[in-house]
Amino acid sequence: MARLPFDNDIKTLRFLSDEMTQGDLGDKVGVTRQTIAAIEQGKYSPSLEVAFRIARVFGKPLEEVFRWAGD
Amino acid sequence: MFDSMLNKYNIVSESLNVECAMSFREKIHWVAFVGLLAGFGWYFLSYPWETANTRMGMMTSVWMLFPATIIFLVPMIAGSAYFAIRTPKEANLREDEREKLIHLKGTHAAYYPLVLGVWANIFAMINGLIYGWSVNILMATLVLAELVRVGAQLYYYRRGY
Repeated sequence: MARLPFDNDIKTLRFLSDEMTQGDLGDKVGVTRQTIAAIEQGKYSPSLEVAFRIARVFGKPLEEVFRWAGD
Repeated sequence: MFDSMLNKYNIVSESLNVECAMSFREKIHWVAFVGLLAGFGWYFLSYPWETANTRMGMMTSVWMLFPATIIFLVPMIAGSAYFAIRTPKEANLREDEREKLIHLKGTHAAYYPLVLGVWANIFAMINGLIYGWSVNILMATLVLAELVRVGAQLYYYRRGY
């Protein structure tokens, strides 16, 4: 499967937020923990709304959570 | 220091191993897949095919549908109840955007066997295969479409989307 053309720092940000679990983040964002896991691993490209919600949970701008890594 | 913190965190993450855990819906899909195979596997293997092109063959199909449905439904109900009791929080969650996408992709994949099955039935009827044949071809079409739908969804759940 082709990897997505962007990376993310969700795992690190979760750690820095009192070791927040994927389930906790999923609850805050309104998705399942499996979806958070898929986003973290770069297997699933979230909608813009979910991406913004994730960034809001960490109090960061979107580009500090997701970074373009493709050409 | 930060590296050691991350290493520690990776150990925590591994111990939780949440990435590999199946969601409630994925488990239910597995139960449906196995139930379909068991219920309709029994049906198609036990059906008296030599009587298929008679009115009696058609009635046999109709009557055999009851046990086939029970074989399919009982594990579905039992499995849903079991997993709902074990993970009540997940059972009450609404489909999120990834699950909706998986749902749509599975349904899309099931469209093709459905169309093929309808054409096969038309072809069979034109060639004089009616009664039990018609019922069975349509039923096989539905079962195959369901297996493709559920199977595709299981594949996408494992792949990530």
